[in-house]
Amino acid sequence: MYPFGKGMARYVPLLLLLIPFALYVVFYFGPSVLTVIYSFTDVKNIPGSPVKFVGLDNYYDVFFSGNSGERWRSITNTLIFMVVVTIVQNGAALFIAVLINQRLRGDNFYRAVFFMPVVLGVSVVSLIWGMMFDPLSGPVNMLYEWLFGYKDMFFASFTHAFGYIIFVQIWMYMGYSMLIFLSGLQSVPKDLYEAGYIDGTTKWQSFRHITFPLIASSFTVNMLLSIIGAMSTFDIILATTDGRFNTRTMAYDVYKETFRGSLEMGLPSALSVVQFLMILVFVVVAVKQMRKREVEY
Amino acid sequence: MVKRISAVVLASALTLSLAACGSNNGGNTATEGNTGSKPSGEKKVVKILHWKQGNVNAAMEEINKAFEAKYPEYKVEYTTTGPDDEYKQAQRARITANDVDVLADLSGMRLSPKDWTPGAKVPDWQQWIDSGLIADLSDQEFVKNWNANDIEKAGTYNDKVYAIPTGKVAMSGLFYNKQIFEDNGLKVPTTWTEFLKLCEDLKAKGITPIGVAGKDVWPLKLPVFALQAKILGGGDQQKWIEGVWKGETAFNDAEAVEVLDKMKTLQDNYMIDGFMGIDYASAPSIFATGKVAMLADGSWDAPTIATANPDLKFGYFPVPATEDAAKNASFVGKYDVTWYAAEKGPNKEGALKWLEFFSESENYTKYVKAAGFIPTQDNIATDSEFIDKELTPYLGDFELAYEIMMINRQNVGEHIAAEGVHTEYLAPGGEFKTAKELADVQQKEWEAAAPK
Repeated sequence: MYPFGKGMARYVPLLLLLIPFALYVVFYFGPSVLTVIYSFTDVKNIPGSPVKFVGLDNYYDVFFSGNSGERWRSITNTLIFMVVVTIVQNGAALFIAVLINQRLRGDNFYRAVFFMPVVLGVSVVSLIWGMMFDPLSGPVNMLYEWLFGYKDMFFASFTHAFGYIIFVQIWMYMGYSMLIFLSGLQSVPKDLYEAGYIDGTTKWQSFRHITFPLIASSFTVNMLLSIIGAMSTFDIILATTDGRFNTRTMAYDVYKETFRGSLEMGLPSALSVVQFLMILVFVVVAVKQMRKREVEY
Repeated sequence: MVKRISAVVLASALTLSLAACGSNNGGNTATEGNTGSKPSGEKKVVKILHWKQGNVNAAMEEINKAFEAKYPEYKVEYTTTGPDDEYKQAQRARITANDVDVLADLSGMRLSPKDWTPGAKVPDWQQWIDSGLIADLSDQEFVKNWNANDIEKAGTYNDKVYAIPTGKVAMSGLFYNKQIFEDNGLKVPTTWTEFLKLCEDLKAKGITPIGVAGKDVWPLKLPVFALQAKILGGGDQQKWIEGVWKGETAFNDAEAVEVLDKMKTLQDNYMIDGFMGIDYASAPSIFATGKVAMLADGSWDAPTIATANPDLKFGYFPVPATEDAAKNASFVGKYDVTWYAAEKGPNKEGALKWLEFFSESENYTKYVKAAGFIPTQDNIATDSEFIDKELTPYLGDFELAYEIMMINRQNVGEHIAAEGVHTEYLAPGGEFKTAKELADVQQKEWEAAAPK
């Protein structure tokens, strides 16, 4: 009847809710709002130092100052990173998930193998690929030389380093997307395939018209995770090239300006606001598009 | 059964990955000794913050122990973090939280804006002093233990002493393998022409002349420091730097282009193949195993090289930047570890006591020997053959390096950022075919960063 009791007792659940709400406001929402406010000030990382509003100066510095060329390149890099990672990572993950879902012998083993890089973590992964891609004695360069008679500088190449970082990022997180697709695939009712089989569908047709529409929700989740993940990635860049060799992205710039730049926090705040707005636009568009496609039979 | 096992594997994998997310933000601060949470009786804790550097840390621990033995009322809490950016992060956090008494900074006081640098960025240390976070040491007796000139150059701001520079390092030299030089009848070059001739001779014998850790990029700055100090402003860097602010000199004037061009000559012809792929940690072993005849590195790496191959006989000479042998014969370098005492720390009095103890010549000698620095106190016997025979002859006109003297404009482009001229952007690795092309871009970036 009264699951939460009567009288004042009714307010207890609300009071309890206040605790996580307060934590959320203090540690998450508050700082986020403060970042937006800071982006219009010249606030410094020194307690008690005077703060004044400087209007759009920080945004002007982001887009039109002496080194804005590099900021624009960071933005382009972020977009390239996001598009390539989202498409390739999800494409490959879907392909492998479908393969593994066919009750292969040892499918659990494959699952674990593909998921392994996620477990290793960024530091270990960048160490592994740093050794694989060692320009002087790495195995990949030996392979290149044997196959094409060509040697690469990998993470120390102005033209190729970013491509290799994208590759490592995809290698690392593909297993994660795969797992989400796999759970989606396993929730597709088997009788639909049987019905399709009776109607004489080819393998491609049954994938296109049965599997794909029914895993649309996993698809949405994966797309969102990759878009947000890719646009806020800085750790793999930090660990492989440290932003050298034209590999900076917006998220890396925010980290760098905040923790290694000057004591001024206005510029990095402005950078994060710009980054946030970009992510927001892409996520909203993506969600709108994909929601349209989700179906239930 | 198999399914259950793999479920467990996957679950633990997920948990681990979450744990990994939490742990790789680089802030792992190792605390040695007492962590403060433990009650230390009546003892007053002195908190010292420093970065990790094996040999120096060991000497510090010893000094701290001796300090605690002599003054039993104090307890030293010596904390070290990873070097460079990780340290900078810790340093900022601790000083602003008033949670440190003595803190180390790299390179002495530098890059303070002058009246000829309108709009230049104020460095961290100066902002801390201006905000009253750093203790004034001017009246402390122990300051007199230190070389007055070094204190003046690297520890004084607004006529007050705020910092103790604990040693100098040479940066503009090349380590050379004495065995290789002897076997091939070569001697240390004193002019640029002799230097190129030496490199050619080595090449003709099938020996790679120079190794450098290009992957970390900053080691490429080291030979450039020699070129800059001896060539810019006709050997007066300060004049050139002031000139560039006033529009009298430029990043693409003849002298600046000569600097880039000479470095390009070395990079194109005499540096080890794929030097842009060598990371700093592995460079000493490449030299120590005789793969290259010379190594572009700072004098602080001598102990590392000696450890990598104890039998190796090696020396260190300044890169001969010009045709004037007398002008070439001195090192360019900087101050290394520099101590500040926090004004608002938990134990300022303890910090001063510790600095006083550290400044006593026998304690300092222990430290400077372990660190391999050139002493900033007078009459210190380092008993180091390397310092006495290889460095001292070239210390007469010791000059500070470009990165210590150059005051940058805010928001300068990447080709002149971080007080460097970034020769990694030159071909073959980079996009610029000639030194002049890079120089023109640098001048453009400098002008674009002019305050509006």
